[in-house]
Amino acid sequence: MILAVLFANSDGNILIERFHGVPAEERLHWRSFLVKLGSENLKGSKNEELHVASHKSVSIVYTTIGDVCLYIVGKDEYDELALAEVIFAITSAVKDVCGKPPTERLFLDKYGRICLCLDEIVWQGLLENTEKDRVRRLIRLKPPVEP
Amino acid sequence: MASGQDSSGTTLMDLITSDPSATSTAGASSQQQSSSGVGGSLLGKPVAPTADRKSKKGTLTQIQNETISAAKALNPVKPVSYAQLVRSIHELAATCDQKSSQRQLVNSVFPKLAVYNSVDPSVAPSLLMLHQQCEDRNVLRYVYYYLARILSDNGSQGLSAAGGIPTPNWDALADIDAVGGVTRADVVPRIVDQLSAESSSDDVEFHARRLAALKALTSCSTSSSEMMEKLNEIVFGILEKVADTKQKRKKGIFTKQGGDKESIVRGNLQYASLSSLRRLPLDPGNQPFLHRAVQGIEFSDPVAVRHALSIISEIAAKDPYSVAMALGKSAQPGGALQDILHLHDVLARVYLAKLCHSISRARVLDQRPDIKSQYSSLLYQLLLDPSDRVCFEAINCVLGKGDNTESTEDRAGGWIRLTREILKLPEAPSVASKGVLSKSSEKSSKARRPQPLIKLVMRRLESSFRSFSRPVLHAAARVVQEMGKSRAAAFALGAYDEGASLNVESLDSDLENPMAEATRKPNLLSNGHGGMDTIAGLLASLMEVVRTTVACECVYVRAMVIKALIWMQNPHESFEELKSIIACELSDPAWPSSLLNDVLLTLHARFKATPDMAVTLLEIARIFATKVPGKIDADVLQLLWKTCLVGAGPDGKHTALEAVTIVLDLPPPQPGSMSGLTSVDMVSASDPKSAMALQRLVQAAVWFLGENANYAASEYAWESATPPGTALMMLDADKMVAAASSRNPTLASALTRLQRCAFSGSWEIRIAAVQALTTIAIRSGEPYRLQIYEFLHALALGGVQSNFSELQLSNGENQGASGTGLGSLIIPMLKVLDEMYRAQDDLARDIRQHDNSKQEWSDEELKELYETHERLLDFVSLFCFVPRAKYLPLGPTSAKLIEIYRNRHNISASGGLSDPAVATGISDLMYESKEVQKETNTVQSGIDPDLAMAWAAGLEDDVWANNAPAVDKVKDFLAGAGTDAPDVDDEEYMNSRPSVGYDDMWAKTILETYDAEEDDGRYSGGSSPESTGSVETSISSHFGGMNYPSLFSSKPSSHGATQQTIREEPPSYSTSVLQRKESFENPLAGRGGRSFGSHEDEDKSSGNPQSGKALYDFTAGGDDELNLITGEEVEIEYEVDGWYYVKKRRPGRDGKMAGLVPVLYVSS
Repeated sequence: MILAVLFANSDGNILIERFHGVPAEERLHWRSFLVKLGSENLKGSKNEELHVASHKSVSIVYTTIGDVCLYIVGKDEYDELALAEVIFAITSAVKDVCGKPPTERLFLDKYGRICLCLDEIVWQGLLENTEKDRVRRLIRLKPPVEP
Repeated sequence: MASGQDSSGTTLMDLITSDPSATSTAGASSQQQSSSGVGGSLLGKPVAPTADRKSKKGTLTQIQNETISAAKALNPVKPVSYAQLVRSIHELAATCDQKSSQRQLVNSVFPKLAVYNSVDPSVAPSLLMLHQQCEDRNVLRYVYYYLARILSDNGSQGLSAAGGIPTPNWDALADIDAVGGVTRADVVPRIVDQLSAESSSDDVEFHARRLAALKALTSCSTSSSEMMEKLNEIVFGILEKVADTKQKRKKGIFTKQGGDKESIVRGNLQYASLSSLRRLPLDPGNQPFLHRAVQGIEFSDPVAVRHALSIISEIAAKDPYSVAMALGKSAQPGGALQDILHLHDVLARVYLAKLCHSISRARVLDQRPDIKSQYSSLLYQLLLDPSDRVCFEAINCVLGKGDNTESTEDRAGGWIRLTREILKLPEAPSVASKGVLSKSSEKSSKARRPQPLIKLVMRRLESSFRSFSRPVLHAAARVVQEMGKSRAAAFALGAYDEGASLNVESLDSDLENPMAEATRKPNLLSNGHGGMDTIAGLLASLMEVVRTTVACECVYVRAMVIKALIWMQNPHESFEELKSIIACELSDPAWPSSLLNDVLLTLHARFKATPDMAVTLLEIARIFATKVPGKIDADVLQLLWKTCLVGAGPDGKHTALEAVTIVLDLPPPQPGSMSGLTSVDMVSASDPKSAMALQRLVQAAVWFLGENANYAASEYAWESATPPGTALMMLDADKMVAAASSRNPTLASALTRLQRCAFSGSWEIRIAAVQALTTIAIRSGEPYRLQIYEFLHALALGGVQSNFSELQLSNGENQGASGTGLGSLIIPMLKVLDEMYRAQDDLARDIRQHDNSKQEWSDEELKELYETHERLLDFVSLFCFVPRAKYLPLGPTSAKLIEIYRNRHNISASGGLSDPAVATGISDLMYESKEVQKETNTVQSGIDPDLAMAWAAGLEDDVWANNAPAVDKVKDFLAGAGTDAPDVDDEEYMNSRPSVGYDDMWAKTILETYDAEEDDGRYSGGSSPESTGSVETSISSHFGGMNYPSLFSSKPSSHGATQQTIREEPPSYSTSVLQRKESFENPLAGRGGRSFGSHEDEDKSSGNPQSGKALYDFTAGGDDELNLITGEEVEIEYEVDGWYYVKKRRPGRDGKMAGLVPVLYVSS
């Protein structure tokens, strides 16, 4: 289960968040935990360099893409390596939508599309599509494989 | 929460709608926001509870904001409000045939609306209209997006399962709904109808819309059976048409390039239907369900195959037989499952590994070894997978790791499998992989000859540890940890022996002999070095690599490596290296406390797996106590001490106790540093916080020592053979000490340490030490009791200074009670001991008299004796727990007389429920100690691993079967649970938490207990045993529920937690304090209600807690408050100032059972 996908800017403001299977009262904790994790470790880290953390049986993988930080929390089959796959799918889709690693402005300009992409990649806590071509087609309401 | 989200929502909306040229100001405003409102989430500080609690107040401010922003809406630069967006949707939907409206929707309205996690139902009609009339794909895609959100919304406070920023005026809208607006109940059926009609249509041209509609439908909540039925119908309807193709999937990843239109459309539909099937609730008994899933593994779409496999693997975990039957021949060479080995989807292969694991381990398939071996062989082939994720999963599966519920046998079997099995590839391996993944073909060509699994695995892990990717390192370390667990299990069952390694060695060389290839040489070489190519050798080289990984800069990776090292630590090897690694690591201030506690819990788990390692683990735990006292959970540490102490066996007990007492030898915190509580410069042993924590820990250790020294030393007053008279003969203190230490060095050394603590520690520690000494005095026989008595006496009077001359020199203060500040505490203790000795003297005199005059004891005399006995028992019970049935305050000689009296008057000695000790479960202590002794003896004499395991398992039942938070923590950890949110703020806010104020708490307790005791007036004099009892209570409260780790203490009864105490203090402590209190105060309840059982009954009947239900979510704002979730059932204990003290049926997510909640939040 992918428990959370969360985008934040470098100030720690949350831009997009998707929780699945996380009770409402715990979301705030996760938010602050992740943002704190990022503020401690992401400064000066390379673009798309993967970072890892864990909390009990839950894995966390996070990275920066352009000006934006991306955090993913998962458990069970979504361990740190599977989350690395997920994060790769998301970053490549974001780069595809924005045309490059986004600045915060660019990210917000493409906000709607990024939300759609996210929906195609992680749906109800499960990884769905990983290929960026497929995702690109799906967010334009085209079939995943074109005749 | 609402406030945090809202403000961040506004920020986000600000950011999004702000003019690009004005980015800098937007950034500034966001920063401003973050320093004020959003700061909560940024810094991990919980949002102010008042704002949190009052969601209604939040709504009000929202509406206020709403009106303000609506008023400012004329100004185009200002952020757009939700209401405006909704209005534009309504308007634009009416004109959706115009290009300009479409553009506006796609470019501005919909993206901005996406900021909110959901839309309210009033938007649905417009969306449905767009869905029907608009043809622009981009608009439609958004329409599906929002329809799905409306469907998934569970209706509670606008929070959908997907999370996000709540719709700002949701509550206000809900009110409008109630008076006749559009409600969810109105729109959801319409949405479902429209979407299901669309997803059932067969029009090829629109099949993309069909997919999207189906996907949106899957988001509706699974709780509605009606919707599930509908969805089922649609999905199976589609599968009916598309799944039954006999056309084989083309291999490799180039599928999508070939194929005609029809098959592509079919492939897409297969994907969509399986993706929906995956979201349907699992239905293990349902054959069509399984059948469709099994068909799915032959589909052309890799994502569809992944979903199919995940469904099958989940069913296989429950019902392996039918899955194996349904899969039939797919596992054979050339079958569909073999093709998946080369499928370009990592998770699909992961699920394949899980599936193979379930089937190859299934007991029900024991009759079909052929099937099992097919799946095992598939699993072993996955060890060669190019993806680390798949390979690691396969290793875990081989090792027998399941869902954390696997038995020790499974684990041990896994280790045997790993070390003995050989991977033989089928004759024509990897037909399809050529050219696809050069890496994999390379690997498979290398691996063509049979290979022992262990070698493959080791090689793979070693190379993974050279990776630069943190996830890979973390995962590899985790695999090594799992390996350690399996190995420990094999050890525990005696299945691990050096013979095994030789075995593999011979097998290995047997296999390699026929093919004398170049690879043989290195083996020979290594053999030549004398480094046998055994399992031990392989492991050693792996561990070498693992150790180097400690150099990783990421603490989480290092933590995992340390856990792996702890698990891989062999009980018979030296652990110096591990110790030094951990010691080094702990000096790094970067470690968060949660991680350290995790490592501590790993020690627990390791101990449970191998009780032999108790001493080793205690040594390691000691490093934690000394290096990072401020960061670890003293409760968990104590529990570890205790379990290790019990587990260490008769030989290890002394060493175990020593390991605990080493904490006492730590340098005391600097007196000056305690004052500057607010300045936290850096984390070191001298900063106030860790100084305080260290002190807490020392207190904990002192207390632990007092409670458990008797157990560790196997010295019990009620088993002591020395009659009191003999002890009195040895009044010369030096002789006494000499005799004591020669008879029982463990207890003697514990006494020495405690005596030192009674002098040198801080005031709190001194008190704890005196308490501990009293406990030991009461529980031990002579000469220890006398020794302690002597000591306390000296302490109280301040006389007999010669005894402590050196100490006095070093300390420089008056050694008397006035100097130690302990007078009021010691006097009642001495009084009890005095009473005991006096009674013993009286008894000795009476016996002599009776003997001399050859006179029988009259009933009156016996009665008097018995009453004295009971009275003393009551006194003693105020200080510590003793088994009432066995404890003889009058000494062993009184046993016979009391027995006579009891028999005459039919007083049951064991007392049953009327014995407080039994009622609270502490009189197991006799039982327990005997039991453990007996069993450890058997373990010692005949090393029977089964028995040892049984004993270890029994341990769990005895020792772990209570409710204390630390125990829960450990249990959770062992069960692999814990997806709850991490606690961010424990470090920074330790001092600022409202309820902690350590000194205040202390002072308050003292004052209040003293007040209470003045009212009490049952005993003459300024201080009474009760007061000391209460003081002890307050001491233990400082350790946060310290009563559980003692072998002597009561197991906290889950319901008796909160019955008393209103008069004492604001219930700012944990429940354990209250429990403790109860146990001490019960004797105060008067002679009649002395016994525990009856008293509890009384409480139950009179207290009669009211039950209630949580009306809203409530987030605790302090330690004494309790989190509530709407609908949770609670018992209301009492009301204070607009707060209820309530108790839950089960501990909540935070492990708390009881606490304060606002009255308005609970319906009574």
